[in-house]
Amino acid sequence: MIDFIDSFFQSIYNNLIAGNAYLFVLKGLWITLLISALGSFFGTLFGGILCFLRMSAAKILRTTAHLVIAVLRGSPVLLLLMILYYVVFAGSRMDAVIIAVIAFALNSGAHIAEVMRSALEAVDKKQNEAARMLGFSATKAFLAITLPQAGKIAKPVYQNAIINLVQWTSVVGYVAITDLTRTVNTIGSRTGDPFFALFLGVLIYLGISYAVYSLFSIGNKQEVAK
Amino acid sequence: MIHIQGLSKRFGKLLVLKDIDFQVREGECVAIIGPSGAGKSVFLRSIALLEVPERGSICIRETNITNKSVDINKVREKMGMVYQGFHLFSHLNVLDNITLAPRKVRKQSRIEAEQKARELLALVGLSEKAESYPHQISGGQQQRIAIARCLAMEPEIMLFDEPTSALDPTMTREVLAIMRKLTKMGLTMIIVTHEMSFAKEVANRVVYMDEGGIYEEGTPSEIFDHPRKEKTKAFIHQLNVFTYEIHSKGFDMVAMQAKIEVFCQKYQVDSRKIYHIQLVLEELLMVIFRKCYAETSPDMNLSIEFPADREEISISLHYAGQRFDPFQPDMQEEDQLGITIVKKITKESIHFADNGLNSILIKM
Repeated sequence: MIDFIDSFFQSIYNNLIAGNAYLFVLKGLWITLLISALGSFFGTLFGGILCFLRMSAAKILRTTAHLVIAVLRGSPVLLLLMILYYVVFAGSRMDAVIIAVIAFALNSGAHIAEVMRSALEAVDKKQNEAARMLGFSATKAFLAITLPQAGKIAKPVYQNAIINLVQWTSVVGYVAITDLTRTVNTIGSRTGDPFFALFLGVLIYLGISYAVYSLFSIGNKQEVAK
Repeated sequence: MIHIQGLSKRFGKLLVLKDIDFQVREGECVAIIGPSGAGKSVFLRSIALLEVPERGSICIRETNITNKSVDINKVREKMGMVYQGFHLFSHLNVLDNITLAPRKVRKQSRIEAEQKARELLALVGLSEKAESYPHQISGGQQQRIAIARCLAMEPEIMLFDEPTSALDPTMTREVLAIMRKLTKMGLTMIIVTHEMSFAKEVANRVVYMDEGGIYEEGTPSEIFDHPRKEKTKAFIHQLNVFTYEIHSKGFDMVAMQAKIEVFCQKYQVDSRKIYHIQLVLEELLMVIFRKCYAETSPDMNLSIEFPADREEISISLHYAGQRFDPFQPDMQEEDQLGITIVKKITKESIHFADNGLNSILIKM
């Protein structure tokens, strides 16, 4: 038992303390969080636009959006990332992190667009009409009636999409970004103790996921209180 | 107040509304009745421009609202629409459902809007439900809130699109009671309804729609008691008479009995009497099946009718085949019991046969 505790502390020292390794871990974590946060933000924005086009009255816009969504949803995000990095932006000096943000925004945007669309379609359309009959303009009725209800329906699925995105950011190491996954991998191979380092990585991702869940549930509690 | 001319509406190739002319005076209560698919709802929705007409003009007071330059949102502020399916805002509680439009559209303060809302809640008898959410209250209560929600905007015209069709009889009565109050307040109302007795009671004018247009209109007594045109007559007749045809011994008796029950409930027949009607029919049918249709399939029809005074219910039963009088004295014992029951609970029962067609007339 004492041996185990001893080796555990030894592992912590080797992996995190020696050579200030924890700083690398924090830096990797920061990159992962950065890509996740910006990817989610722009993905949601892009998803909103795609969804709007997908539901537009003009058939050409609808079909185009449908096609874009189908392609983006149907292709692995890693391939998308590599295409952007090695082909599309190969000549530019754009930062790899920005390219990653673009890739994840595109991929998650397509998913989020469909989440939004199904949520909007699930809302009772007659409630919107009832609002119009009370004198609401089309925009006001959408904002006051349809959107809040669609938001509620979309929330659990949207939350999953975000957590999915966070986990998929672990592939950015392929385009030479030093994110959390790559950092723990590097540390593991340097110390020859991959078990500890990789397991630590899993724990941190788990922590992020829980943080995202609790972020969403803060909203829930306020709703109940209201 | 409402002046409609030459209104036509088409869904694809189907002409739903044909060249309708229609007027409503201020404070009038108009009931629109007619068979389903006659275009009643489409017509009602057109008045609020929820269906855009193909041709024709709709003038509310002096404004022709089919003009593109008219701000339809302003027009609709003065109109209330009550739906069959209530359509309360499901993410808001009752109070917010009522105050939302006054606050967001008419820019009233929350205090002012809530005060008015509480008055309206008292009017519809639901003061204690202010904090409830739509899914927590019954259909009848939801519909009353929907009416209060419209009233909060102080409309000049109220449109009702089958407001009680989704409700059971008790809840229907709750909603009709509120609507009755509104007519007394002098609101201009147009009601698409299947509640004939209500239409008869509260409407100033009844419009019978059929064939995509206004087929006949008049006062309630003109339409319900003395309809002049053929289709109106047929429609009113089938409201008062229940008919059923039987062509097989394995016919769905349960369904027939259920239909009879629904029909009788419309006339406020008490459940004991409904049971008696059902019992009489069942006993007679069984005896007739055994005696007349032992080897062949039955060919019979029955009708139940309520005369205007509603005192006596008359049932008539016609069946083709050999002459057979179930009320003759020399019945076998197995059939005697059923017939005794029938005789006991009916006031009058006679049988006659003519040209191979037996008829039984019963009054009870």
